[in-house]
Amino acid sequence: MNERILVVDDEESLRLSLKFKLKSAGFDVDVATDGEDAVEKLKKKPADVVLLDINMPRMSGIEALNYIRQTYPKTEAIMLTGFADFSTAIECLKMGARDYLVKPVDTTELVTRVRSLIRSRSSERALQQVQEQYSAVVMNDLIDPLHKIQGMLDQASKLSSDGDAKERKKLLTSARELTNKMEQKLQQLMDLTKEAAKSAVAGDSELDQILLAEQPRSIREDQE
Amino acid sequence: MTDKDPKGIIRYTYKFSFDDGAEKQFEIALDGETLDLLETNDQPKPEWTRLKFSQCENCPLPESVEYCPIAVNLSKLVDAFEAHASYEAAVVTVETAQRTYLKKTTLQKGLSAIIGIYMSTSNCPVMDDLRPMTRFHLPFANSIETFFRSISSYLTAQFLLMKRGKEPDWELTGLREIYKAVNLVNKGMSQRLLDASEKDANVNAVVILHSFGDGISYFIDSGLVEIEPMFNVFLKDIEEPVAKDGVKHAPPSNPS
Repeated sequence: MNERILVVDDEESLRLSLKFKLKSAGFDVDVATDGEDAVEKLKKKPADVVLLDINMPRMSGIEALNYIRQTYPKTEAIMLTGFADFSTAIECLKMGARDYLVKPVDTTELVTRVRSLIRSRSSERALQQVQEQYSAVVMNDLIDPLHKIQGMLDQASKLSSDGDAKERKKLLTSARELTNKMEQKLQQLMDLTKEAAKSAVAGDSELDQILLAEQPRSIREDQE
Repeated sequence: MTDKDPKGIIRYTYKFSFDDGAEKQFEIALDGETLDLLETNDQPKPEWTRLKFSQCENCPLPESVEYCPIAVNLSKLVDAFEAHASYEAAVVTVETAQRTYLKKTTLQKGLSAIIGIYMSTSNCPVMDDLRPMTRFHLPFANSIETFFRSISSYLTAQFLLMKRGKEPDWELTGLREIYKAVNLVNKGMSQRLLDASEKDANVNAVVILHSFGDGISYFIDSGLVEIEPMFNVFLKDIEEPVAKDGVKHAPPSNPS
Protein backbone atom coordinates (compact mmCIF):
# COMPACT_ATOMS: atom_id res chain seq x y z
CA MET A 1 0.00 0.00 0.00
CA ASN A 2 1.33 3.45 -0.89
CA GLU A 3 2.06 5.90 1.90
CA ARG A 4 -0.64 8.49 2.27
CA ILE A 5 0.32 12.17 2.19
CA LEU A 6 -2.03 15.04 3.06
CA VAL A 7 -1.08 18.41 1.53
CA VAL A 8 -2.54 21.33 3.49
CA ASP A 9 -2.27 24.79 1.94
CA ASP A 10 -4.84 27.48 1.27
CA GLU A 11 -3.29 28.28 -2.12
CA GLU A 12 -4.78 26.15 -4.87
CA SER A 13 -1.80 26.29 -7.23
CA LEU A 14 0.54 25.02 -4.53
CA ARG A 15 -1.80 22.23 -3.48
CA LEU A 16 -2.11 21.11 -7.08
CA SER A 17 1.59 21.24 -7.95
CA LEU A 18 2.56 19.32 -4.79
CA LYS A 19 -0.22 16.81 -5.38
CA PHE A 20 0.93 16.23 -8.98
CA LYS A 21 4.55 15.81 -7.93
CA LEU A 22 3.89 13.49 -4.98
CA LYS A 23 1.45 11.38 -6.98
CA SER A 24 4.00 10.99 -9.76
CA ALA A 25 6.48 9.86 -7.07
CA GLY A 26 4.08 7.05 -6.15
CA PHE A 27 2.35 8.41 -3.05
CA ASP A 28 -1.35 8.35 -2.31
CA VAL A 29 -2.12 12.09 -2.03
CA ASP A 30 -5.04 14.05 -0.66
CA VAL A 31 -5.34 17.82 -0.21
CA ALA A 32 -6.91 20.14 2.35
CA THR A 33 -7.51 23.87 2.08
CA ASP A 34 -6.68 24.80 5.70
CA GLY A 35 -6.17 23.36 9.19
CA GLU A 36 -9.85 22.68 9.81
CA ASP A 37 -10.24 20.91 6.50
CA ALA A 38 -7.10 18.88 7.31
CA VAL A 39 -8.60 17.75 10.63
CA GLU A 40 -11.78 16.64 8.85
CA LYS A 41 -9.77 14.75 6.21
CA LEU A 42 -7.67 13.02 8.90
CA LYS A 43 -10.80 11.94 10.77
CA LYS A 44 -12.00 10.19 7.63
CA LYS A 45 -8.65 8.68 6.71
CA PRO A 46 -5.35 9.06 8.62
CA ALA A 47 -2.20 10.05 6.76
CA ASP A 48 1.41 8.94 7.14
CA VAL A 49 2.75 12.43 6.48
CA VAL A 50 1.07 15.84 6.52
CA LEU A 51 2.59 18.77 4.64
CA LEU A 52 1.37 21.81 6.54
CA ASP A 53 1.51 25.43 5.46
CA ILE A 54 2.17 27.62 8.51
CA ASN A 55 0.06 30.64 7.58
CA MET A 56 -3.51 29.69 6.79
CA PRO A 57 -6.92 31.17 7.55
CA ARG A 58 -9.34 29.59 10.06
CA MET A 59 -6.97 27.07 11.71
CA SER A 60 -3.29 27.93 11.21
CA GLY A 61 -0.60 25.36 10.48
CA ILE A 62 0.71 25.65 14.05
CA GLU A 63 -2.73 24.97 15.55
CA ALA A 64 -3.23 22.07 13.16
CA LEU A 65 0.21 20.69 14.04
CA ASN A 66 -0.65 20.79 17.72
CA TYR A 67 -3.91 18.93 17.11
CA ILE A 68 -2.28 16.34 14.86
CA ARG A 69 0.56 15.61 17.32
CA GLN A 70 -1.96 15.00 20.08
CA THR A 71 -4.56 13.08 18.09
CA TYR A 72 -2.49 11.24 15.49
CA PRO A 73 0.96 10.68 17.03
CA LYS A 74 1.92 8.30 14.23
CA THR A 75 1.34 10.99 11.58
CA GLU A 76 4.49 12.95 10.79
CA ALA A 77 4.40 16.63 9.84
CA ILE A 78 6.56 18.67 7.49
CA MET A 79 5.94 22.41 7.68
CA LEU A 80 5.84 24.71 4.65
CA THR A 81 6.69 28.31 5.27
CA GLY A 82 6.13 31.02 2.69
CA PHE A 83 8.62 33.35 4.25
CA ALA A 84 12.00 32.37 5.61
CA ASP A 85 10.58 32.58 9.10
CA PHE A 86 13.09 30.32 10.79
CA SER A 87 11.93 31.13 14.32
CA THR A 88 8.40 29.87 13.55
CA ALA A 89 9.80 26.84 11.77
CA ILE A 90 11.98 26.01 14.77
CA GLU A 91 9.01 26.47 17.09
CA CYS A 92 7.17 23.91 14.92
CA LEU A 93 10.11 21.49 15.16
CA LYS A 94 9.96 21.84 18.96
CA MET A 95 6.24 21.06 18.80
CA GLY A 96 6.96 17.81 16.98
CA ALA A 97 7.13 18.65 13.28
CA ARG A 98 9.84 16.54 11.69
CA ASP A 99 11.06 18.96 9.05
CA TYR A 100 10.29 22.21 7.28
CA LEU A 101 10.67 23.57 3.76
CA VAL A 102 10.76 27.18 2.61
CA LYS A 103 8.57 28.17 -0.33
CA PRO A 104 8.96 28.13 -3.25
CA VAL A 105 9.30 24.45 -2.55
CA ASP A 106 11.82 22.50 -4.57
CA THR A 107 9.51 19.58 -5.33
CA THR A 108 12.34 17.13 -6.00
CA GLU A 109 13.80 17.94 -2.60
CA LEU A 110 10.35 17.60 -1.08
CA VAL A 111 9.96 14.06 -2.43
CA THR A 112 13.44 13.18 -1.14
CA ARG A 113 12.60 14.50 2.32
CA VAL A 114 9.21 12.75 2.45
CA ARG A 115 10.82 9.45 1.42
CA SER A 116 13.58 9.91 3.96
CA LEU A 117 11.05 10.70 6.69
CA ILE A 118 9.01 7.61 5.87
CA ARG A 119 12.18 5.49 5.83
CA SER A 120 13.37 6.81 9.17
CA ARG A 121 9.89 6.33 10.62
CA SER A 122 9.94 2.66 9.53
CA SER A 123 13.41 2.29 11.01
CA GLU A 124 12.31 3.87 14.28
CA ARG A 125 9.37 1.52 14.49
CA ALA A 126 11.57 -1.48 13.72
CA LEU A 127 14.06 -0.39 16.37
CA GLN A 128 11.25 0.07 18.86
CA GLN A 129 10.16 -3.50 18.12
CA VAL A 130 13.75 -4.68 18.60
CA GLN A 131 13.89 -2.94 21.96
CA GLU A 132 10.57 -4.48 23.03
CA GLN A 133 11.70 -7.96 21.98
CA TYR A 134 15.05 -7.66 23.72
CA SER A 135 13.37 -6.41 26.89
CA ALA A 136 11.06 -9.43 26.76
CA VAL A 137 14.06 -11.79 26.50
CA VAL A 138 15.86 -10.08 29.37
CA MET A 139 12.76 -10.06 31.55
CA ASN A 140 11.35 -13.51 30.83
CA ASP A 141 14.45 -15.53 30.06
CA LEU A 142 16.99 -13.95 32.37
CA ILE A 143 15.49 -11.99 35.24
CA ASP A 144 12.62 -14.41 35.96
CA PRO A 145 14.92 -17.51 36.04
CA LEU A 146 17.38 -15.53 38.16
CA HIS A 147 14.64 -14.88 40.71
CA LYS A 148 13.80 -18.58 40.66
CA ILE A 149 17.45 -19.48 41.30
CA GLN A 150 17.63 -17.00 44.17
CA GLY A 151 14.51 -18.61 45.66
CA MET A 152 16.02 -22.09 45.28
CA LEU A 153 19.28 -21.03 46.93
CA ASP A 154 17.39 -19.37 49.78
CA GLN A 155 15.39 -22.55 50.24
CA ALA A 156 18.52 -24.74 50.09
CA SER A 157 20.31 -22.59 52.67
CA LYS A 158 17.45 -23.10 55.12
CA LEU A 159 17.66 -26.90 54.89
CA SER A 160 19.63 -28.67 57.64
CA SER A 161 22.88 -30.03 56.33
CA ASP A 162 22.21 -33.63 57.41
CA GLY A 163 18.58 -34.52 57.03
CA ASP A 164 17.66 -32.74 53.78
CA ALA A 165 20.61 -33.65 51.59
CA LYS A 166 18.36 -35.16 48.92
CA GLU A 167 16.10 -32.13 48.76
CA ARG A 168 19.11 -29.77 48.73
CA LYS A 169 20.66 -31.71 45.82
CA LYS A 170 17.38 -31.48 43.88
CA LEU A 171 17.21 -27.72 44.38
CA LEU A 172 20.83 -27.21 43.38
CA THR A 173 20.39 -29.38 40.29
CA SER A 174 17.37 -27.35 39.21
CA ALA A 175 19.26 -24.14 39.83
CA ARG A 176 22.16 -25.46 37.81
CA GLU A 177 19.85 -26.36 34.90
CA LEU A 178 18.39 -22.86 34.97
CA THR A 179 21.84 -21.26 34.91
CA ASN A 180 22.74 -23.43 31.91
CA LYS A 181 19.69 -22.18 30.05
CA MET A 182 20.48 -18.61 31.03
CA GLU A 183 24.04 -18.99 29.81
CA GLN A 184 22.72 -20.27 26.49
CA LYS A 185 20.33 -17.28 26.17
CA LEU A 186 23.08 -14.83 27.10
CA GLN A 187 25.35 -16.37 24.45
CA GLN A 188 22.58 -15.99 21.84
CA LEU A 189 22.03 -12.39 22.86
CA MET A 190 25.77 -11.72 22.64
CA ASP A 191 25.83 -13.15 19.11
CA LEU A 192 22.84 -10.99 18.12
CA THR A 193 24.45 -7.86 19.56
CA LYS A 194 27.57 -8.55 17.49
CA GLU A 195 25.42 -8.97 14.36
CA ALA A 196 23.51 -5.78 15.13
CA ALA A 197 26.77 -3.86 15.51
CA LYS A 198 28.05 -5.26 12.20
CA SER A 199 24.77 -4.33 10.53
CA ALA A 200 24.93 -0.79 11.88
CA VAL A 201 28.52 -0.31 10.68
CA ALA A 202 27.60 -1.58 7.20
CA GLY A 203 24.56 0.76 7.12
CA ASP A 204 22.25 -2.11 6.36
CA SER A 205 18.65 -1.58 5.45
CA GLU A 206 15.55 -1.57 7.57
CA LEU A 207 15.04 -5.20 6.53
CA ASP A 208 18.01 -6.11 8.73
CA GLN A 209 16.48 -4.17 11.57
CA ILE A 210 13.26 -6.11 11.17
CA LEU A 211 15.23 -9.37 11.16
CA LEU A 212 16.98 -8.25 14.33
CA ALA A 213 13.58 -7.66 15.85
CA GLU A 214 12.53 -11.18 14.89
CA GLN A 215 15.61 -12.91 16.34
CA PRO A 216 14.90 -12.25 20.04
CA ARG A 217 11.46 -13.65 19.39
CA SER A 218 13.07 -16.81 17.95
CA ILE A 219 15.28 -17.07 21.08
CA ARG A 220 12.15 -17.09 23.17
CA GLU A 221 10.43 -19.61 20.92
CA ASP A 222 13.50 -21.94 21.11
CA GLN A 223 12.98 -22.14 24.80
CA GLU A 224 9.23 -22.69 24.59
CA MET B 1 -8.72 44.65 -31.76
CA THR B 2 -11.29 46.23 -29.50
CA ASP B 3 -9.46 45.66 -26.24
CA LYS B 4 -7.07 48.48 -27.10
CA ASP B 5 -7.75 52.12 -26.45
CA PRO B 6 -7.77 54.60 -29.39
CA LYS B 7 -3.98 54.83 -29.17
CA GLY B 8 -3.62 51.06 -29.60
CA ILE B 9 -2.66 50.52 -25.97
CA ILE B 10 -3.83 47.60 -23.82
CA ARG B 11 -4.55 48.76 -20.30
CA TYR B 12 -5.06 46.88 -17.05
CA THR B 13 -6.00 48.83 -13.94
CA TYR B 14 -5.49 46.93 -10.68
CA LYS B 15 -7.12 48.37 -7.57
CA PHE B 16 -6.53 46.82 -4.13
CA SER B 17 -9.08 47.83 -1.46
CA PHE B 18 -8.45 46.85 2.15
CA ASP B 19 -10.77 46.39 5.12
CA ASP B 20 -9.44 49.56 6.78
CA GLY B 21 -10.51 51.63 3.75
CA ALA B 22 -7.00 51.96 2.29
CA GLU B 23 -6.66 51.60 -1.48
CA LYS B 24 -3.75 51.14 -3.82
CA GLN B 25 -4.04 51.41 -7.59
CA PHE B 26 -1.69 50.39 -10.39
CA GLU B 27 -2.07 51.14 -14.10
CA ILE B 28 -0.40 48.84 -16.59
CA ALA B 29 -0.13 49.96 -20.20
CA LEU B 30 1.12 47.57 -22.88
CA ASP B 31 1.89 48.24 -26.52
CA GLY B 32 -0.99 46.60 -28.41
CA GLU B 33 1.33 44.97 -30.96
CA THR B 34 4.58 44.14 -29.16
CA LEU B 35 3.08 43.81 -25.66
CA ASP B 36 5.98 45.89 -24.35
CA LEU B 37 5.35 47.57 -21.03
CA LEU B 38 4.98 51.26 -21.83
CA GLU B 39 5.34 52.66 -18.36
CA THR B 40 8.76 54.03 -17.60
CA ASN B 41 9.84 53.88 -14.01
CA ASP B 42 11.72 57.13 -13.36
CA GLN B 43 11.96 56.53 -9.62
CA PRO B 44 15.45 55.92 -8.19
CA LYS B 45 16.22 52.22 -8.52
CA PRO B 46 16.56 50.48 -5.16
CA GLU B 47 19.65 48.44 -4.37
CA TRP B 48 17.76 45.14 -4.57
CA THR B 49 17.02 45.74 -8.27
CA ARG B 50 20.70 45.47 -9.24
CA LEU B 51 21.32 42.47 -11.49
CA LYS B 52 24.01 41.10 -9.20
CA PHE B 53 21.76 41.31 -6.16
CA SER B 54 20.54 37.69 -5.85
CA GLN B 55 20.92 37.07 -9.59
CA CYS B 56 18.90 34.13 -10.97
CA GLU B 57 21.07 31.07 -11.55
CA ASN B 58 20.06 30.90 -15.24
CA CYS B 59 20.25 34.64 -15.93
CA PRO B 60 21.37 35.08 -19.55
CA LEU B 61 22.03 38.82 -19.28
CA PRO B 62 25.61 40.06 -19.74
CA GLU B 63 27.54 41.68 -16.89
CA SER B 64 27.18 45.04 -18.61
CA VAL B 65 23.50 45.08 -17.62
CA GLU B 66 23.38 46.88 -14.30
CA TYR B 67 19.79 46.25 -13.23
CA CYS B 68 17.49 43.22 -13.39
CA PRO B 69 14.65 44.22 -15.75
CA ILE B 70 12.06 42.27 -13.77
CA ALA B 71 13.13 43.82 -10.48
CA VAL B 72 12.99 47.30 -11.99
CA ASN B 73 9.49 46.63 -13.34
CA LEU B 74 8.35 45.36 -9.95
CA SER B 75 10.02 47.93 -7.73
CA LYS B 76 7.09 50.35 -7.39
CA LEU B 77 4.66 47.51 -6.67
CA VAL B 78 7.03 45.78 -4.26
CA ASP B 79 7.64 49.01 -2.43
CA ALA B 80 3.88 49.57 -2.06
CA PHE B 81 3.29 46.16 -0.51
CA GLU B 82 6.56 45.45 1.27
CA ALA B 83 4.96 45.75 4.72
CA HIS B 84 1.86 43.72 3.87
CA ALA B 85 1.18 40.11 4.85
CA SER B 86 0.20 37.66 2.15
CA TYR B 87 -3.04 36.64 3.89
CA GLU B 88 -4.47 40.13 4.23
CA ALA B 89 -7.95 40.21 2.79
CA ALA B 90 -8.38 42.57 -0.14
CA VAL B 91 -10.99 43.32 -2.72
CA VAL B 92 -9.11 43.37 -5.98
CA THR B 93 -10.70 45.03 -8.99
CA VAL B 94 -9.15 44.68 -12.43
CA GLU B 95 -10.45 46.89 -15.22
CA THR B 96 -9.74 46.35 -18.89
CA ALA B 97 -11.29 47.93 -21.96
CA GLN B 98 -13.55 44.90 -22.25
CA ARG B 99 -14.64 44.06 -18.72
CA THR B 100 -14.15 44.46 -15.01
CA TYR B 101 -13.03 41.61 -12.76
CA LEU B 102 -13.64 41.74 -9.02
CA LYS B 103 -12.66 39.29 -6.33
CA LYS B 104 -12.48 39.31 -2.58
CA THR B 105 -9.29 37.41 -2.11
CA THR B 106 -5.96 37.31 -0.34
CA LEU B 107 -3.44 39.98 -1.18
CA GLN B 108 -0.95 37.37 -2.41
CA LYS B 109 -3.43 36.08 -4.99
CA GLY B 110 -4.18 39.56 -6.33
CA LEU B 111 -0.50 40.44 -6.38
CA SER B 112 0.49 37.25 -8.20
CA ALA B 113 -1.72 38.23 -11.13
CA ILE B 114 -0.23 41.69 -11.55
CA ILE B 115 3.33 40.49 -10.87
CA GLY B 116 2.85 37.92 -13.63
CA ILE B 117 2.23 40.74 -16.13
CA TYR B 118 5.18 42.79 -14.91
CA MET B 119 7.50 39.80 -15.15
CA SER B 120 6.51 38.60 -18.61
CA THR B 121 6.68 42.09 -20.14
CA SER B 122 9.96 43.05 -18.50
CA ASN B 123 12.24 42.13 -21.42
CA CYS B 124 13.89 39.45 -19.29
CA PRO B 125 14.95 37.01 -22.04
CA VAL B 126 13.74 34.01 -20.02
CA MET B 127 10.29 35.49 -19.43
CA ASP B 128 9.80 36.68 -23.01
CA ASP B 129 8.29 33.34 -24.06
CA LEU B 130 5.31 34.01 -21.78
CA ARG B 131 4.64 37.45 -23.20
CA PRO B 132 1.80 36.43 -25.60
CA MET B 133 -0.16 35.25 -22.56
CA THR B 134 -0.40 38.80 -21.23
CA ARG B 135 -2.71 39.67 -24.12
CA PHE B 136 -5.12 37.08 -22.74
CA HIS B 137 -4.47 37.93 -19.10
CA LEU B 138 -7.00 36.31 -16.78
CA PRO B 139 -6.91 37.76 -13.26
CA PHE B 140 -7.45 35.32 -10.37
CA ALA B 141 -7.20 32.31 -12.67
CA ASN B 142 -6.92 28.92 -11.03
CA SER B 143 -4.25 26.40 -12.00
CA ILE B 144 -6.19 24.56 -14.69
CA GLU B 145 -7.24 27.84 -16.34
CA THR B 146 -3.65 29.03 -16.31
CA PHE B 147 -2.36 25.72 -17.69
CA PHE B 148 -4.95 25.85 -20.46
CA ARG B 149 -4.09 29.44 -21.36
CA SER B 150 -0.41 28.62 -21.34
CA ILE B 151 -0.74 25.51 -23.47
CA SER B 152 -3.10 27.28 -25.88
CA SER B 153 -0.65 30.13 -26.26
CA TYR B 154 2.23 27.74 -26.92
CA LEU B 155 0.24 25.65 -29.41
CA THR B 156 -0.78 28.83 -31.25
CA ALA B 157 2.90 29.68 -31.56
CA GLN B 158 3.57 26.18 -32.94
CA PHE B 159 0.81 26.59 -35.49
CA LEU B 160 2.29 29.90 -36.61
CA LEU B 161 5.75 28.29 -36.81
CA MET B 162 4.30 25.48 -38.92
CA LYS B 163 2.75 28.02 -41.27
CA ARG B 164 6.23 29.41 -41.78
CA GLY B 165 7.62 25.99 -42.64
CA LYS B 166 9.10 25.15 -39.24
CA GLU B 167 8.69 21.88 -37.37
CA PRO B 168 5.96 22.38 -34.72
CA ASP B 169 6.37 20.97 -31.21
CA TRP B 170 3.01 19.32 -30.59
CA GLU B 171 4.49 17.26 -27.74
CA LEU B 172 4.91 20.46 -25.70
CA THR B 173 8.52 19.54 -24.98
CA GLY B 174 9.57 23.15 -25.46
CA LEU B 175 6.88 24.38 -23.09
CA ARG B 176 8.24 22.18 -20.31
CA GLU B 177 11.68 23.66 -20.95
CA ILE B 178 10.28 27.19 -20.92
CA TYR B 179 8.70 26.65 -17.51
CA LYS B 180 11.80 24.97 -16.15
CA ALA B 181 13.72 28.14 -16.97
CA VAL B 182 10.88 30.42 -15.83
CA ASN B 183 10.79 28.67 -12.48
CA LEU B 184 14.47 29.31 -11.92
CA VAL B 185 13.64 32.97 -12.44
CA ASN B 186 10.66 32.71 -10.07
CA LYS B 187 12.94 31.13 -7.50
CA GLY B 188 15.60 33.83 -7.96
CA MET B 189 12.97 36.55 -7.81
CA SER B 190 11.39 35.21 -4.63
CA GLN B 191 14.82 35.27 -3.00
CA ARG B 192 15.35 38.82 -4.21
CA LEU B 193 11.94 39.92 -2.88
CA LEU B 194 12.61 38.18 0.40
CA ASP B 195 15.50 40.56 0.91
CA ALA B 196 13.49 43.55 -0.33
CA SER B 197 10.34 43.07 1.77
CA GLU B 198 9.56 43.30 5.45
CA LYS B 199 6.56 40.96 5.17
CA ASP B 200 5.63 38.11 2.88
CA ALA B 201 2.94 39.37 0.45
CA ASN B 202 5.35 40.02 -2.43
CA VAL B 203 7.31 36.81 -1.95
CA ASN B 204 4.25 34.61 -1.71
CA ALA B 205 2.78 36.18 -4.83
CA VAL B 206 5.84 34.91 -6.72
CA VAL B 207 5.58 31.57 -4.90
CA ILE B 208 2.11 31.19 -6.47
CA LEU B 209 3.59 31.81 -9.92
CA HIS B 210 6.29 29.26 -9.12
CA SER B 211 3.60 26.70 -8.23
CA PHE B 212 1.91 27.25 -11.58
CA GLY B 213 5.27 26.69 -13.24
CA ASP B 214 5.80 23.47 -11.32
CA GLY B 215 2.27 22.25 -11.87
CA ILE B 216 2.22 22.68 -15.62
CA SER B 217 5.09 20.24 -16.16
CA TYR B 218 3.23 17.52 -14.25
CA PHE B 219 0.04 18.50 -16.03
CA ILE B 220 1.72 17.96 -19.40
CA ASP B 221 3.41 14.77 -18.20
CA SER B 222 0.02 13.39 -17.16
CA GLY B 223 -1.17 13.81 -20.75
CA LEU B 224 -3.64 16.58 -19.79
CA VAL B 225 -5.92 13.95 -18.26
CA GLU B 226 -7.51 16.54 -15.99
CA ILE B 227 -9.15 18.30 -18.92
CA GLU B 228 -9.33 15.45 -21.41
CA PRO B 229 -13.02 14.66 -20.74
CA MET B 230 -13.94 18.20 -21.75
CA PHE B 231 -12.73 17.37 -25.25
CA ASN B 232 -14.79 14.20 -25.60
CA VAL B 233 -16.71 15.76 -28.46
CA PHE B 234 -13.50 15.46 -30.50
CA LEU B 235 -12.30 12.20 -28.96
CA LYS B 236 -15.39 10.02 -28.64
CA ASP B 237 -14.72 7.79 -31.66
CA ILE B 238 -11.00 7.44 -31.02
CA GLU B 239 -9.46 4.80 -28.79
CA GLU B 240 -7.82 5.93 -25.56
CA PRO B 241 -4.18 6.91 -26.04
CA VAL B 242 -1.58 4.49 -24.78
CA ALA B 243 1.29 6.07 -22.87
CA LYS B 244 4.92 5.34 -23.68
CA ASP B 245 5.04 2.76 -20.89
CA GLY B 246 2.17 0.92 -22.55
CA VAL B 247 -0.34 1.83 -19.87
CA LYS B 248 -3.65 3.47 -20.70
CA HIS B 249 -4.31 6.75 -18.90
CA ALA B 250 -6.37 6.48 -15.76
CA PRO B 251 -9.50 8.60 -15.55
CA PRO B 252 -8.77 12.01 -14.07
CA SER B 253 -9.29 12.75 -10.41
CA ASN B 254 -10.47 15.99 -8.87
CA PRO B 255 -7.52 18.37 -9.20
CA SER B 256 -8.08 20.53 -6.14
